[in-house]
Amino acid sequence: MVDTIYHSLSLTHSNLQFLYITLYFGGTIRKNMELYIFLEKMRVKRFFKKLLKEEHPPFEKAATEDDLLKKKQIDSSLADTMELFKKIYYVPNNSDVNIRYIEIGGIKKNAAVITISSISNTKLIEELVIRPLLINEDESKEIELLLSPQVRKADVIEDILVEINNGNTTLFVDGEPYAYIISSGNFQGRSVEKAENEVVVKGPKESFNEQAMTNISLIRKRIRDEKLIVESTTISKRAKNELYLVYIKDIANEELITNIKNKLNSLDIDSIQNLSVLEEYLEDHIYSLFPTILYTERPDRASEFIEDGFIVLLMDNSPDSLILPATFWSFFHNSEDHYLRFLFGNFIRILRLMALFITLFISAIYIAITNYHVEMIPADLLLAISSTREIVPFPSLVEILMLEIAFELIREGGLRVPKPIGPTIGIVGALILGQAAVQANLVSPLVVIIVALGGLSSFAIGDTNLNYTVRLLRFPFLISAGVFGLFGLTALFTICLLYVTSIKSFGVPYLAPMTPNDSTAKDTIFRRLVKNELFRPGYLKPKDIEKKAGE
Amino acid sequence: MKTRLGLFHFLFLIFILPMLSGCWDQVSIDKRAYVVALGLDKGEDNKISITYLIANPEFSKQEGPSSEPAHEVITFPANDIISAKNTANAVIAKEITYNMLNVLIVSEDLAKDPEFIRYMYDVTKDREIKRNIPMIVTKEKVKTFLLKNKPKLETRIHKYFEFVLENSNKAGLTPNFKLHSYFSITESDAGLFLAPYATTEQIPGGKYTVGEDELLAGELKIEGEESNNSQFLGSAVFKEGKMIGTMNGEETRLTIVLNETLEMGEIYATYPDPFSPQYRFSARIMKREKNDVKINLNGYTPTIDVTVPLYMDILSIHSMETFDNGKIEQLKFHIEEEVQKKLSKLIKRTQEEFKGEAFGWSLIARKKFWTSHDFEKFDWMKTYPNMKVNVSVNVYIGTFGEQSKLPDLNQVRD
Amino acid sequence: MDNTKGKIGIREFLAIILITIGTKVTDNTPTSLFDKVGSAAWITVILMGLFSFIPIYLLTKLIIAYEDQNLIDIIFRLLGKYIGFFVIFLLWTTETYSIVINSATYADIIETMYFVKTPLFFTYIVLIGVAAYGAKKGLEFIGSAAWVSLIGLNIALFVVLILSILQGRFNYVYPILGNGIPEIMKESAMNASILGEFLYLGFIVTSLRSTNVYKKGIWIGFIYVTTVYMLALISYIMLFDYVSIVNLNYPFHETIRFIQLGFLTNVESLFLPFWLVASFLRFSFYLYISALLFGALFKIKQFNYLVPSIAILIVFLGLIPEAPVFTLINLRENFAYLTTPIFLFLPLILWITAKLKGELKK
Repeated sequence: MVDTIYHSLSLTHSNLQFLYITLYFGGTIRKNMELYIFLEKMRVKRFFKKLLKEEHPPFEKAATEDDLLKKKQIDSSLADTMELFKKIYYVPNNSDVNIRYIEIGGIKKNAAVITISSISNTKLIEELVIRPLLINEDESKEIELLLSPQVRKADVIEDILVEINNGNTTLFVDGEPYAYIISSGNFQGRSVEKAENEVVVKGPKESFNEQAMTNISLIRKRIRDEKLIVESTTISKRAKNELYLVYIKDIANEELITNIKNKLNSLDIDSIQNLSVLEEYLEDHIYSLFPTILYTERPDRASEFIEDGFIVLLMDNSPDSLILPATFWSFFHNSEDHYLRFLFGNFIRILRLMALFITLFISAIYIAITNYHVEMIPADLLLAISSTREIVPFPSLVEILMLEIAFELIREGGLRVPKPIGPTIGIVGALILGQAAVQANLVSPLVVIIVALGGLSSFAIGDTNLNYTVRLLRFPFLISAGVFGLFGLTALFTICLLYVTSIKSFGVPYLAPMTPNDSTAKDTIFRRLVKNELFRPGYLKPKDIEKKAGE
Repeated sequence: MKTRLGLFHFLFLIFILPMLSGCWDQVSIDKRAYVVALGLDKGEDNKISITYLIANPEFSKQEGPSSEPAHEVITFPANDIISAKNTANAVIAKEITYNMLNVLIVSEDLAKDPEFIRYMYDVTKDREIKRNIPMIVTKEKVKTFLLKNKPKLETRIHKYFEFVLENSNKAGLTPNFKLHSYFSITESDAGLFLAPYATTEQIPGGKYTVGEDELLAGELKIEGEESNNSQFLGSAVFKEGKMIGTMNGEETRLTIVLNETLEMGEIYATYPDPFSPQYRFSARIMKREKNDVKINLNGYTPTIDVTVPLYMDILSIHSMETFDNGKIEQLKFHIEEEVQKKLSKLIKRTQEEFKGEAFGWSLIARKKFWTSHDFEKFDWMKTYPNMKVNVSVNVYIGTFGEQSKLPDLNQVRD
Repeated sequence: MDNTKGKIGIREFLAIILITIGTKVTDNTPTSLFDKVGSAAWITVILMGLFSFIPIYLLTKLIIAYEDQNLIDIIFRLLGKYIGFFVIFLLWTTETYSIVINSATYADIIETMYFVKTPLFFTYIVLIGVAAYGAKKGLEFIGSAAWVSLIGLNIALFVVLILSILQGRFNYVYPILGNGIPEIMKESAMNASILGEFLYLGFIVTSLRSTNVYKKGIWIGFIYVTTVYMLALISYIMLFDYVSIVNLNYPFHETIRFIQLGFLTNVESLFLPFWLVASFLRFSFYLYISALLFGALFKIKQFNYLVPSIAILIVFLGLIPEAPVFTLINLRENFAYLTTPIFLFLPLILWITAKLKGELKK
């Protein structure tokens, strides 16, 4: 019985090997085959696609009647216009669209006001739009002068609809073939709160929220520079999501901006809800384990990057910003590195580097050493490991994989758990899985230490993306160590190293400025004294390389 | 088209398949039997008798005492130490490994055999055996030694060997040569190799000596618990890879004093008191400077002039003498003379009995030669017995213990 | 945004030099030296450096004279189409042959010292596979990876050197002249090709940011490599003595097996990964050069597609030798003797031709 279990387990072990090898050789050989049998491959691909293709009824395209209508200009007859808008908005079925008919005092004209009450400031409309119109007695005054806020005019239906959808108030006056638009948008959202994911002890605590305007204001609060440009573009066709490119005109590189704009303009999507979704559209290496766009919720961090010549993307509904291009170091760094005193900042850098290595390698090294390089372990430890492993029924690779997966499960579970239950999960995870698994002879105590250390270290890597990268990379390393000991581990490490150096984020090498070397920015593993960080990163080709003002 | 693609896949699979059976070198840490001490005895015919001391990992467990013994000793005949690994599996359940090998033990009987060196070179073939482990020579058969050697306090046997050798080295009672030196000294054919000498067989009643270290293992009378009766004292002398004799504790200490390549710790030794010869005083001897070795190879008889600087703390004086400057000079002169006499005696012994030196002088003499060809032609080993060796000792006296003055005994008794 | 345009700077270039040529101390190259000249092997290295100085100097002169041309272009230009082809072909053959011998040696090191039971084929496949991946990626990335790992590798190397010098005996260095002056002179002249890889660096000149990078890199690398090589040989001798060292196949690996690092008595597995990274990168670079030369011979622009084929060829050639420990060391010795004249005289011939053509005065 035990034999069969063991047998099946060693089989899974071999399967893992297979997976690893496929992954490993996939790279080199596929590229070689590409040269010779590319066409054949495509044919086969098509063949299989056809084979499995389901017959679908053709989809209907949405009615185009509305689209044609929207291009038109509005009529001067109020009744007709209102009829039209009622039809578009399905009034009265659409309950929060308000249409209010009034008679303007003095000039005695009929008028109508359309607002969407849920997204506009009704009090403001009441006091600044409707009241002045009603109480007017002057016959000669023009309507624009009656209203105290600034007024725009629009005559194309489409434009008017956009304004209404943004929460603005539209005033239609009988006999005038255009609408007056008064800004009154008031979307609901959170206020500025503390950063939750990128916590710092020393330094500002504000974080972005879901309103782009607030976010821009947070950045402008930090950079009071007239050259700070907030350029906006609409990136989706239906939802009309607005994206804001924030950069400093006389620092950020023109080519980079054009490059990003081109990429944005080439998007052809109905809706992009937020930056996290946009990230995938912008990235060059979608399948790569390594992130190439930095994602941060801290306005101080974003402004720091803007001042260095990076470009920051902001969007409504995203409590964060995207920073591009991003190098490995931007993921590795944390804003607190610079907030802490020089030595302390570098101390946490060392800790983070250690955490990175421990997370990546500790379990793989354990496997390699206990299975292949036993002589390395001091005698007492060797005997201790040997005695505790003796009663564990699985090969050590299976043992450690089991625990690693369990750890990831606890982590994922703990993340999704409603807050009140959170602490319980922690106790269950630590107690049941650690203590009980050891007592049940499922795992040996040292493995618990190893996995726990690796898992805890991974929390020291603050950036969400890099965190996932490291956690996922652990597994290939683990398996390679299981197959070939330190030799396999080093082979995979070298491949990773070669791969990482070849990644580019918007043309910037991933390990810049370390390599290819760039003598301008020196902030890589260790930070320099702030007074010595004189230059902006040269790999961005900023228009102004020096951080000092003027002379 | 399809067949060609199939062919590629097929080739790829063939390529992958052997990997599935992979992990060739993988042996789980818990599936190995760790040999801590490897013993070599003379066997029948050309065979040797191999003794394994295998540590029991069970014993290192934290929770609860185990009823299993701390280690296991097995002995069996084998052709060499490498194939013996397999033979042992007839008895031992786990795969034998030398990864944890802490010490190589050879019986005097085998070490004196001219064939011995052949077996030693097996060690260089197995990658699991490190060359920085010590080699011990035992008076009796290794089998008996390991069976009888049951230290009461150090039940974790690998620790025992580590500590006992480390501390007897520090005390100067055994030499600190490693296996690696056995090979390099033998191969360069210019000196003697010393290995710690040990035994569990005590001479009944022990041997009486004036000093405390003129003893060989087994000659020291130790009473107490029955089980801990192994002694590490003195050294076995190897010439050209073969054992040719022994040196007692005192000679070993003096060798360590003379030999710069051997590390010298703090040696506690006693010397006859110059002021009242019936007592001996004890001193802590240290070496703070290097020996000054002058070698002159030009004359008909090559000469070696050695000056040994010794630093001494005088510790216990049973003559209850309190020293002044004059007396210190007298004491110094006395010690210098005493040590020099002993050194000369030792050198004479090496020249006449062993016909080789164990003091690393050949290394110093190398400087006198331009090419290794000249050096080999000179043949240090052959020339050494006829050399004229002059030893002088320089003693520097440091402290006189924590309390440097002693009361006048006559007054106390008054 | 990439302002480097795939060109490598001084750091990467230096890292490549140090890793590809510096790694030689860790294989069996020193063994044959110890075998022939005994304790004076380190003097041989200094002399070798002096011998190599002239060809490297001439080569540097040439490369600076022909600003943006690499050695291949220079050879074709100076020696004409046919002789040029022949010379390049010769260089390609020796280069590829040296990869075969070296990689077989490295696979054998892994096999005998670390993974005893693993079939040689698989160790070899992994070794060359990783190297081929790097070579396929391109020089730029080999350089970057080399630079990133250089600091770690150097620290590891110096820890080994310092430990072995501390734990060794200085007197082992004597007799200072080893097997005698004639032997030293002979061996240093015949083994000068140990530093011959500096010739191959001329092929990547056009991938460097400027010829100044080449000049600086070559000389710093040359001095550094020679010094490290010398130190390494001294440390081996100090640890093992000249009589015993002849019997050791791979002195570096015996060294890391012998030395102790505080409470860790067996540190070989600690240094193994560093050595492996260096080896992978080394063969990556060699494979790249091999593909580059082959591409130049047959006018193949995208020569990095050749890498997998060359890699497979190398694996099968490298698996041929039986009893690799002995076969390879003989092959290597003969190879060193054969290539030394090429390394010593080719730059001279090129320089003379250039001088005669009067192209150096520009």
